[in-house]
Amino acid sequence: MIEASGLTKRYGATLAVDGLSFQVRPGRVTGFLGPNGAGKSTTMRLILGLDAPTGGRVTVNGRSYRELPAPLWEVGALLDARAAHGGRTAHDHLLWLSRSNRIPRRRVGEVLELVGLASVAGRRIRGFSLGMAQRLGIAAALLGDPGVLIFDEPVNGLDTEGIRWIRELMRRLAAEGRTVLVSSHLMSEMELTADHLIVIGQGRLLADTAMQDLIERNSQAVTLVRSPDWGRLRELLEARGAQVQPDRQGRWRVLGPDTAAVGELAAKHRIALTELTPRRSSLEEVYVQMTDPRVEYRAQRPASDQPLATTSNLGG
Amino acid sequence: MPGTIEQGRAGFAQALAAEWTKLRTVRSAVWTLAAMAASVLGIAVFVGATRSLQPDDTILGGSLTGATFGLLVGASFGVLVISTEYAAGTIGATLMACPRRGVVLAAKATVTAAVLFGVALAACFLAYQVGSVTLPDDYAQGVPMPALLGVAALFSVTGVLGLAVGTVLRHPAGAITTMVAILLLPSMVGPLLGGWERWVAGASPVAASQKLAQSSDAVPDAVGSLGGWPSLWLVCGYGLVALVGAAVVFQRRDA
Repeated sequence: MIEASGLTKRYGATLAVDGLSFQVRPGRVTGFLGPNGAGKSTTMRLILGLDAPTGGRVTVNGRSYRELPAPLWEVGALLDARAAHGGRTAHDHLLWLSRSNRIPRRRVGEVLELVGLASVAGRRIRGFSLGMAQRLGIAAALLGDPGVLIFDEPVNGLDTEGIRWIRELMRRLAAEGRTVLVSSHLMSEMELTADHLIVIGQGRLLADTAMQDLIERNSQAVTLVRSPDWGRLRELLEARGAQVQPDRQGRWRVLGPDTAAVGELAAKHRIALTELTPRRSSLEEVYVQMTDPRVEYRAQRPASDQPLATTSNLGG
Repeated sequence: MPGTIEQGRAGFAQALAAEWTKLRTVRSAVWTLAAMAASVLGIAVFVGATRSLQPDDTILGGSLTGATFGLLVGASFGVLVISTEYAAGTIGATLMACPRRGVVLAAKATVTAAVLFGVALAACFLAYQVGSVTLPDDYAQGVPMPALLGVAALFSVTGVLGLAVGTVLRHPAGAITTMVAILLLPSMVGPLLGGWERWVAGASPVAASQKLAQSSDAVPDAVGSLGGWPSLWLVCGYGLVALVGAAVVFQRRDA
């Protein structure tokens, strides 16, 4: 469990993190989203005690990171895959880490096996590809078998198979009851991996919500329609204030009324439909809409128990 | 699962073990130490072969002529113990593993001092043996013990001073340049300072090692009348102050 309250970090004149409060809970993958420069990496550095907050507080398992007696047993983090001494072998990199927290030496072999680097354990890190370095970083994070895992852009530099492997690993770690916080700028990937999302922009919290809720609440109602009698249906739809646009597959995108209303309208006027498909926005579309600095985003007050956390004006 | 959390610890002993492992698993650290020993020994062989020794010098002092250059390498070693962490980006991993920064710096200082002491003592002892065999008996012998221990200790303190400077400056090049200046400038600018020369030049680790080695280079006019051992304590004193200062900076700064 990671808890931030009023977390603030100022670098000179720049407010990198501005009063962030959130909780990252165990048992699910929490995606950490925001445009470049939104404060994701800074927030992670604050969680890990690398940088000191200007205001507020963040704890891991109820303690600030610097108070953890053996941090690698509780928290594993991958911040920068290239942050390893190139002259050291993969095995030796993990060996000094294990020594630093009195982690049994056999774990070094175990995590190398787990990330698929056992065969290159004795090779110097300098010669590693970015994908291999990324796997080594993950091995280091898993070394102490921690209950809290933090990954900053873990799929960077990985091929399709590697991305798939990371996704399954994260899901498995969360299923084992661990707290998993992962940042990524790849929305489609995040949509597949994360259960819960924390979205920040300009250092402030934009949303703290379940993935499904976020998409449903922020989706525009779009219905894809195909009909032999489209001309007549279009007139009826437009008369009711709907917007229509053709798509690339020769269908029409109907914005405004929900799918049921479109279907009922067609039935009432005896218009045949060959396709009627409700279309949910993708996370990417919702995200672009949310983080567009030209759009004043206001999170709706939700009726459910998963609150969209704050209201904030990106323009300000 | 590796065990229970209670088995884990990230205290001084673990930091020490981690720093020692880091040191022995990187070639550049081993090479730097080898270069330090080689410079002390090589210059002793050169002095012995060419008999380039002042008539009033001692065999001990002549054998340890290379200590000055060796101290430069030892200082660089101390700088590299921390600045390579900034250069490679491993400082983040180090501080995530042991977030108590004072403990990290203390472990680094301990490993630096211990390794330099051992390597310098062996190198200086061998250099003295080389000098004893190759230099003619008409020179005064000098008293090797406990002087050699003192010279080796100077390597440790100079390395720790390098560690302190490296911690504050972070960049290897800038920190090594600073250490070269600290070690060599006092004897170079000393003569320009008149009555202050003996204080400025006399307080440097180089002067302390010359005094301990009973070298004829350590004339009171240039390096003061403070004896070899008090000079060592003086260097230890400001080395410790520098380390504490570096620890304060290290604590407060974002990694």
